[in-house]
Amino acid sequence: MSSFILKRSRNSSSFLFQNPSNKSATLNSSQPNNLIYSSQNHTVFHSGFSTFLLNNMKNPSSSYSTLSRRMHRNLKDMILASGFSVLSVRSPSGSNEVVVFPRGCGLFGTWAAVEPSTSDGLTVDGIVANNWAILDESESDWKSHAAAIAQSIQVIKRRLQWKKLKVRLNLLSAELNKPDLWDDPVHAGKISREHGSLMGKVKEVKAFEQELLEHIDMIKLAREENDTDLESESLQALLSMRRNSKERELEALLSGEQDPCSCYIEVQAGAGGTESMDWASMVMQMYKSWAQRRGYVVTLMDEMPGEIAGIKRATIKVDGEYAFGYAKAEVGAHRLVRISPFDSSKRRHTSFAAVAVIPMLGDGSTRVQINESDLRIERFRAGGAGGQHVNTTESAVRIVHIPTGVTATCQNERSQHQNKASAMAVLQSRLDQLEMARQAQMNAQHTQSLTEISWGNQIRTYVLHPYRMVKDLRTNYEVSDPDSVLEGDLDGFILSYLSASLDKDEDGQ
Amino acid sequence: MKLSLTRACCRSYTFPIFRKPSSVLPRAIFHQSLSSSSSSSLKPKTPLFLRPPKHSATFSDLKKWHDWANTLAYEVGSSFADSDNGPDSSILCRELKWLLEDSLEDNSLIPHLGIENNPNSVKLRIALDELYGLWKERIEKRKPFQYLVGCEHWRDLVLCVEEGVFIPRPETELIVDLVNEVVRDNEQLRNGIWVDLGTGSGAIAVGIGRILGSKGKVIAVDLNPLAATVAAFNAHRYGLQDVIEIQQGSWFETLKGFEGKLSGVLSNPPYIPSDDICGLQSEVGKHEPILALDGGLDGMDDLLHLCNGAASMLKPGGFFTFETNGEKQCKFLVDYLENDCSGSFCNVSIVSDFAGIQRFVTGFRRAL
Ligand SMILES: C[S@@+](CC[C@H](N)C(=O)[O-])C[C@H]1O[C@@H](n2cnc3c(N)ncnc32)[C@H](O)[C@@H]1O
Repeated sequence: MSSFILKRSRNSSSFLFQNPSNKSATLNSSQPNNLIYSSQNHTVFHSGFSTFLLNNMKNPSSSYSTLSRRMHRNLKDMILASGFSVLSVRSPSGSNEVVVFPRGCGLFGTWAAVEPSTSDGLTVDGIVANNWAILDESESDWKSHAAAIAQSIQVIKRRLQWKKLKVRLNLLSAELNKPDLWDDPVHAGKISREHGSLMGKVKEVKAFEQELLEHIDMIKLAREENDTDLESESLQALLSMRRNSKERELEALLSGEQDPCSCYIEVQAGAGGTESMDWASMVMQMYKSWAQRRGYVVTLMDEMPGEIAGIKRATIKVDGEYAFGYAKAEVGAHRLVRISPFDSSKRRHTSFAAVAVIPMLGDGSTRVQINESDLRIERFRAGGAGGQHVNTTESAVRIVHIPTGVTATCQNERSQHQNKASAMAVLQSRLDQLEMARQAQMNAQHTQSLTEISWGNQIRTYVLHPYRMVKDLRTNYEVSDPDSVLEGDLDGFILSYLSASLDKDEDGQ
Repeated sequence: MKLSLTRACCRSYTFPIFRKPSSVLPRAIFHQSLSSSSSSSLKPKTPLFLRPPKHSATFSDLKKWHDWANTLAYEVGSSFADSDNGPDSSILCRELKWLLEDSLEDNSLIPHLGIENNPNSVKLRIALDELYGLWKERIEKRKPFQYLVGCEHWRDLVLCVEEGVFIPRPETELIVDLVNEVVRDNEQLRNGIWVDLGTGSGAIAVGIGRILGSKGKVIAVDLNPLAATVAAFNAHRYGLQDVIEIQQGSWFETLKGFEGKLSGVLSNPPYIPSDDICGLQSEVGKHEPILALDGGLDGMDDLLHLCNGAASMLKPGGFFTFETNGEKQCKFLVDYLENDCSGSFCNVSIVSDFAGIQRFVTGFRRAL
């Protein structure tokens, strides 16, 4: 929990800056002979050599003014000392550019074998192993900054499941290097997209790592040469890296393939009549508010109201970046303890609501092909003779996918045609999810459908009486103000769960 | 322009539009072609969502209205549903939400309605006191929601409707799907002439006008001049003024010269048996034009007339679809089409709606 800052402010609109803008040039097999992947402004090597250094080399007086000319002079030597090669090449624009690449690297984007280190052999793991004291940010102590950053880098790697990532990346690279890859363009597209996205993540971390080591080199150099300007510049750079690293730790929480997707959230009342139906509608309201605070667009797809109060079941669509990444943390049974307003003898009741979350896959993903003939489309809540006899604004439809029995309903749209289209979209996502679960390509616990969520899989308890508290049973994260949680202030719970579930995965390193 | 009324109805409502003409009288004594762009003496009302947002109200006044309207909706409970299969509270609440959506200039403000004492004001397309009046009419007079907002969402279209014009039903949406299936791989039909008889708001005509080929045309006919005007407005709104020709007249009467030339005949004619009219849900019986509903003694007067007409008007291979009252009428029509139309038709079949009710009879004119 100490690894990130939880803001519990009412309108914590964004604590993560989710913009995985592709800072690196994409690799693809149409340019197999490119040793160097370069785009106009960034040149990044698969070894993770840092971008800003290169920019600086090309353009010594550029905006990155914290690096002095002096540093530029010394760079070449340093690079040579640390296992990289430097070439001078003529760029298409005619100017000479200095290009650096690690010695002995392969053709395609595989993992670079060289462990990056400072000129005297210090690595990120080495820094952590040194156990340098981590002091407050305000203390101008480079070792403390370095230790904090190195620790963050380890956290980030763990969250990205670094080892698995490495294996996967090597597998994808091998696949990409196959000559017959593009015989199956759909498959090839998928592979190269995944490779590009994983590679982007790896490069970012490696660049960050490299940057740390360079600043350390710079500080040592400055001390040797008694250059106080350079020393304070480098120290400043380390400090800003340290601040930035917390943000990167958070970003790393949402690195799953489906995390950036929009999603559906479904809530179903447990046994217990009106009290639990009321609870289900409170839970649904909590998610609506949470999503709206986060700036997502919320649409009610389907709702089955209880006879007296609350809902039996409801589905909302949450549109926006990383909606699934966050919401998946909410899958499971939610328990409420309170004095029921529906109980005339004012007894304490315990009720449950189950929550399921379904990602809406983007167009790039493989979708399940649905056969029209496998569908049964029914008017929902139809009654009487219909047609000219009836004027109703209620035109909900239910679609049943006969082979799987999966159903979807939508009743919120203003025409039957649109209800059908929306229900089809829900059905598609459900079938996609089923397929994903089947292929076991995804963390199984996030793919459960409502019917599969066992009421025993309790994730959180909300107590309104005799004391007031909300506690997550998975992380023990707890809050003493249930009202704020029910009003949608869920970020603390979500982040603590996401970090706990990734951080416990120790094989990452 | 009053037409004589021969079928008495058991209740004495004054219906907004003229009564059913007797089928023994000459069907129509007039017909005229309405170009969708030509101005006619009847002007369609602008639906709420298209009006300029020139009114305003404070958040708290709007909220007051909304709370009041919600309370009225809740008080209805299931009483309408129990008495004549009308809307219950949950449906009325959803309509209220849509009424608000159509009235507000900026829909994103709706979630903020709950915020107490918001001093800001919002722009409305209708004055607040008119909103009070509208909702009162909805609850007390059972005026259809679609007449309140002046439109009906039908398929992916928003069609303008107003009192005096039949509100298109969800069931009828399927006719467009049926036509789509037929023209998808039949270039000839796709580029032929189709007719929508009794077009009402123009729903079917606009729906298929958008799926026909570049040479395809639709002639949309209605006896009710207001319907013809509204249909022209809707055709225009979807940019189909060159595809859809609106004609005012009775069934095939204006189509002299098209015998054996039509690619398709589509209709959702009045099909309710006269005796059932007085028991209809209030929204329908008290407010929608009876000319659109009353199909004669067994509800089949117009359907049979259309079957006979289709036999002579369709070209060989031409397609027809008629909406009906249900299983009884469907079965009767199939029998009639197969046995009494001297072999004019083939592939006659019944298609059910999504409620599982046999709703449509479809078929093709037999090739000679
Ligand atoms: C049930 S409504 C159908 C309207 C529209 N097609 C729809 O589906 O929404 C029947 C329509 O037939 C029209 N109608 C009734 N008698 C007619 C006649 N003799 N000739 C042409 N149209 C007629 C009515 O005015 C009404 O618009």
